[in-house]
Amino acid sequence: MSKPSSNSSQTASSAMRETAEKQYAAELAALARLDDRERPPRWNLSPWAVVTYLMGGKLKDGTEISPKYVGNKRIIEIAVATLATDRALLLLGVPGTAKSWVSEHLAAAISGDSTLMVQGTAGTPEEAIRYGWNYALLLAKGPTRDALVPGPVMRGMAEGKIVRVEELTRVPSEVQDTLITILSEKTMPIPELNEETRATKGFNIIASANDRDRGVNELSSALKRRFNTVVLPVPDSMDDEVKIVHQRVGQMGKALELPGEIPALDEIRRVVTIFRELRDGKSVDGKSKLKSPSGSMSTAEAISVMTNGMALASHFGDGKVKAADVASGIIGAIVKDPVQDKVVMQEYLETVVKEREGWKDLYRACREVL
Amino acid sequence: MPSELHILGIRHHGPGSARLLTRALRAIEPDAVLIEGPPDAAELISLAGHADMVPPVALLVYDPEVPSNASYYPFADFSPEWQAMRWGLEHKADVRFIDLPQSLRPPSTKKADSEADRECESGGNDECEATEPDVPPAERHRQDPLDALAHAAGFADGEAWWGRLIEERRGDENPLQVFDAIREAMSSARAECGSTPHEPHELAREAHMRKSIRAAIKDGFTRIAVVCGAWHAPVLTADVLKSSPAKADDAILKQLVKRKTTATWIPWTYDRLSLQSGYGAGIASPGWYEHLWMNHDQVSTRWLTKVARFMREEDLDASPASVIEAVRLADSLAALRGRSIAGLDELSEATLSILCHGNPLPMRVIERKLIVGNRLGHIPEHAPSVPLQRDLAAQQKSLRLKVSADDAELDLDLRKETDVARSRLLHRLSVLGIPWGTLAADQKQRASTFHEVWKLQWKPEFAVVVIEAARWGNTIVDAAAACVQDQASKAQELAQLTALLDHVMLADLPGAIDTLISRIQSLSAVAATIGSLMDALPPLVRILRYGNVRKTDAALVEPLVDGLLARICAGLVPACGSLDDDAAAEMHSRIDGVSSALSTLARSEFVEPWHHELHKLGSAGVHGLVAGRAWRILLDAQACDPEVAASRIAFALSPGNDAAQASAWVEGFLRGSGTVLLHDERLLAIVDRWVCSLPPETFEQVCPIARRTFSTFAKPERRTIGEHLRRGVRAAQPSAGVIDGDDDDLARCELVDPVLRLILGEQMP
Repeated sequence: MSKPSSNSSQTASSAMRETAEKQYAAELAALARLDDRERPPRWNLSPWAVVTYLMGGKLKDGTEISPKYVGNKRIIEIAVATLATDRALLLLGVPGTAKSWVSEHLAAAISGDSTLMVQGTAGTPEEAIRYGWNYALLLAKGPTRDALVPGPVMRGMAEGKIVRVEELTRVPSEVQDTLITILSEKTMPIPELNEETRATKGFNIIASANDRDRGVNELSSALKRRFNTVVLPVPDSMDDEVKIVHQRVGQMGKALELPGEIPALDEIRRVVTIFRELRDGKSVDGKSKLKSPSGSMSTAEAISVMTNGMALASHFGDGKVKAADVASGIIGAIVKDPVQDKVVMQEYLETVVKEREGWKDLYRACREVL
Repeated sequence: MPSELHILGIRHHGPGSARLLTRALRAIEPDAVLIEGPPDAAELISLAGHADMVPPVALLVYDPEVPSNASYYPFADFSPEWQAMRWGLEHKADVRFIDLPQSLRPPSTKKADSEADRECESGGNDECEATEPDVPPAERHRQDPLDALAHAAGFADGEAWWGRLIEERRGDENPLQVFDAIREAMSSARAECGSTPHEPHELAREAHMRKSIRAAIKDGFTRIAVVCGAWHAPVLTADVLKSSPAKADDAILKQLVKRKTTATWIPWTYDRLSLQSGYGAGIASPGWYEHLWMNHDQVSTRWLTKVARFMREEDLDASPASVIEAVRLADSLAALRGRSIAGLDELSEATLSILCHGNPLPMRVIERKLIVGNRLGHIPEHAPSVPLQRDLAAQQKSLRLKVSADDAELDLDLRKETDVARSRLLHRLSVLGIPWGTLAADQKQRASTFHEVWKLQWKPEFAVVVIEAARWGNTIVDAAAACVQDQASKAQELAQLTALLDHVMLADLPGAIDTLISRIQSLSAVAATIGSLMDALPPLVRILRYGNVRKTDAALVEPLVDGLLARICAGLVPACGSLDDDAAAEMHSRIDGVSSALSTLARSEFVEPWHHELHKLGSAGVHGLVAGRAWRILLDAQACDPEVAASRIAFALSPGNDAAQASAWVEGFLRGSGTVLLHDERLLAIVDRWVCSLPPETFEQVCPIARRTFSTFAKPERRTIGEHLRRGVRAAQPSAGVIDGDDDDLARCELVDPVLRLILGEQMP
C-alpha cells in the first residue's frame, strides 16, 4: 500500500495519525501547481490529477507522487469519474481492501479536507447525518438557526465539500434512508425552521460499505440506485498481497513496540497463500478446487494473524515466528463457524497443506490446534 | 484503357472497416471485387447471395481424405469480406477469392500454424489449445504490427487503437483517403517489423494475391477493388505490381505442392467467432461489433438501453434513470481517459457500477449473451455436405453397419474387435445426440457381460443433427469428445458427471476424460452434501477396478477416487451428526455402498482411512442405524478387535439406552446377514439377553423392527440361529470360529488346509 514518503511534512505533532491532507500536503500542493486541466466546481484538483494522486507517478517538475492505492487504475478512474458527474460513490468490498483509505485520500485530494466524516455504527442516530440542537439555546430562544448544530453532511453541503460516510451498511436502515433526499434533491430540509440547506456545487458523498460480514443492513434499492457502486477487489497478485502484509506488519510491530523481529517473508507468504486459497476457493496452482469458509478471509485478517504470531513468538518463544505461532491465529481466523468451517479447514489441511512440500510443520501445528 | 486498381486494407470482422468499405465500393463502383479468401471455395461464392444464407457462417476448406485437416473462414454480417461479397453479387461485379489456396498449403501439423492472420484450424487444433496452456494467447499477437503503431500513439494494444480509430469512427470523410492512410500506416509498420514474414505462408500468399490481381487486369476489368487484410495492402499496389516482376512470384508459387481440397459452407456461431474459442483472428466482442454495425448514431445510449432491456428480461432491476446515469458515467470516464466517445470498456464499467450495483454476476451474463452473443448462422439446404457427415459415412461403411429406416436389432459381442468398434461408434453418436442406435431395454436379462444389444433405426432428421454436431469437430471421435467436454463444463450435479464419465468410458473418448475428471474434482470440492460425494464414489471405483476390461486407461480415475475419499472421510462424522430415521436409512445404504466399493479394490491406502473414520463414527453419538453399521463393517473387515466390538454391542444394548435407538443399532449391525451371530456366540448371547430383558410394552414397540431385521437373513441362517438359541447359548465359550475338539481333529484339518488354499486362491487372506 502506501510508502511513507520522505518529503511529506511530519511536523512534531503528537497525534497518532495525521490526516491525509496534512501528511501529503507537499504532494497535493505540487499537483495543484502543475495541474492545468479543467477542474469541476470547487475541486482543488482536476479529475486527472486526483487519479495521479491516488495511483502515484512523477510530475513534470520531477516531484514524486507516492502511490496511495496498489491495484487497478481503472477502479480509481471510475471512482473519480463518478464524483465528477456529481453522483454519490459507494465503495464496496471485504475488510482490508482499503475502502476507508481510498475514500480519505479522495476527499483530501478533491476538497482538501478529509475530516467531514460520519462513522456508521449500529447506534448511529439520524442526527448524526442531519443536524442536532444546542439544547440550552433551544430552550432559551426556541428553534433558531443559532440553536442548530449542523452535522458533517450539512457542513459539506454548505461548503461544497466531499463528505465521507464510513461503514454505511452498519447504520440502521431507517437512518440510511435519510440520505435519499440529500442525494436526489441535493437539499436538506429543516422542518423546525421551515428552511432548508441547499447543497453547494462540489458537495458529494463517498460511502464505504461491507457486503460480506455478518450483521450488516443491506441498502434499500432506493438508496442503492442513488449510488454508483465501485467494488474494491482483494489484491490481484500474490506478490502485491505479500508486500502489503509485510509492510503493515512491520509498521504495526513498531507501533505496538513488539520486540520480535519482522517475520520472515516465507512465513508471510505461507499465511497469505492460505488466505488467498481459501478466499478464492482454489489452490494457487489452480489444480484443485476448495470450499471457502464463512469468514471473509481478508488481507486485514492475514495482517492480524501475523502480528499475533509476532507477539506470541516474542513473549513466549525465541522471537522468531514459527509455524506453531501462526497456527492458532490461522485456525481462529478461518474457523468462525465451529461446525461448517471446521470441515472446510480439515479438508483443506488434508488435501492441500499435507501434500505441500515443506509445509509439514504447519500441517502438524494446525492439526494440534484443530 | 489501363485498369484502375484500388487496394482496400481492412481488419477482419471490423464493423467500421465494413462500413468504410461499403462506402468505398459505392464510390468506386468496381466491375471486379477481389477478396482475400480461399480460391478453393470459388464456386461457393454465389451461395453467399442466397436468401437462406444468414451469417455468421463459415467457409470450410478441408482435405477430403483427412477431414480433420481443415481450415475455417468465418464471416459475420459485419465482416468486410462478407459485405464485399454481397455487394459484388448484388451489383453483378465479378467476385473472386485471391488468397493462397489451401490446396497449395502443406497440411497443418497441429501447433506449427497458429496463424495470426485469419484462419482458425479445425476442431483438432482447438482441443489442442484448450489442453496446452503453456502457449500464452499473447504469443499469437506477438508480432502484431498494430501494436507497434498503437504504442506510438499511446494506446495499450493494437486492438484498442484500431478500434478507436477505425471501428468506432463515425466521420464521413472520403473513404478512399482513409484507405490510403491505412495503407501508409501499414507500410511504415511493415518497415518497423523488418522483412521477416510474420506468418508461415506470407510470401507465397502475397505472391498469389499479386498473381491474381495481374490476372484480373489481364481479363480486362476496368475498375478493380481488392479487399484484403490491412497488413497486406502495401505490397499489392499498382506500383509494387509494376516493380516486382511476375516471374519472381511465379517462382515462389511453383515450389508449392498441390493437394486436393473440398470446400463447403457451414453455420457458425458468435461464440466460435470470439477469441475465447481459440480462433486466431477472433474478436473479443462479436455482439458489440454487431451493435456497432447495426447502429450509426447514439451508440452508447442504444447499447446501454439494450443492456437494461436485457436485464429486465432476466428479471433484474434496471430503470431508465439508471441508464441515464450510466451514459453520463461512461461519457465522463471517456473524457477522463481522453477519448472522444465511450467505448466498450467505459460502457461495461458504467454498466457494472450502476446497473449491476457492482455485482459481477449479472455482468457475466451480459458478457456472454450480449457482448459475445449467441447468434447461430444458417445455410441454404442444398449447400455441400460437411466432413463429419463424410466421416460418419466412412465409418458406417468400414464397420458394415447398414443405414436403414427399418428397426433392426444388433447383438454385439464385445470380445470381437469389430463389434467393440461398432459399440464405440454407437456410443459416440449417442453422446452427440444422434440416437441412431438405442440400447435394448432387456439388456440385463442376458447373462453375459460381453453382450450389448442395440436397436438401429435411421431417421432422416439425423442428417440435420449431424451437420449441427459438425460444430463440435470434423470426425465423430473429435466431435464426441468436444461435446462431452462442453456438457461437463455445464453440468452442476456430481451424479450427472459420473454418469457422463461412464458414457465416456463406453464411447472410449480419452481426450475428454481429463476435462471430465478435473470437473468432477472441482464439483466434488464444492458439493454441498457428503451424500452426493458418497453416491459418486462407487461408480468411479468400479471404473478403477474394471475399467481395463474395455482397454481404457483407468489409472486416470485413481487420483479422483483418492480426493473424493479424503473429502468423504473429513466430512462423514459431522454429516451423520443429526439424522432422523429416513436420513439414517439413506446414510446406511451409502456407507454400505462406499464400503463394498472399497473392499472390491482391497487397497490399504483407501481402506485404512475409511475404517479409521468408521471407528470414529461408531464411537460418536450418531443414529443407531449408522453406528451399528459402522461396527458391523469393521468387524466383517477384521478391522477391529472382536472383543471391542462385543463391548460396543453390549454398551449399545445396555438397559440405560432408549429401546428405539438400541433396536436401530441392532438393525444397522445385523441387516443383510446374521452369519456374524453364528460365528461369535458371545454376540448372540448379548443380543439374546437384550431381547429377553425388554419389558413387555417396549418389546411390542421393538418387535416390528427386529422382525424386519431378521427377515433379511437367509432362511438357513435363521434356522441355525434358532437352533443355537434352543440349545442354549453358551456365553462362556471363548472365541468363535475356533474349532474345538481334540488334537486329532485339528491335525486332520491341517491336511485339508493346503488343498483348500489352492482352491480358494493363494492370495486370499
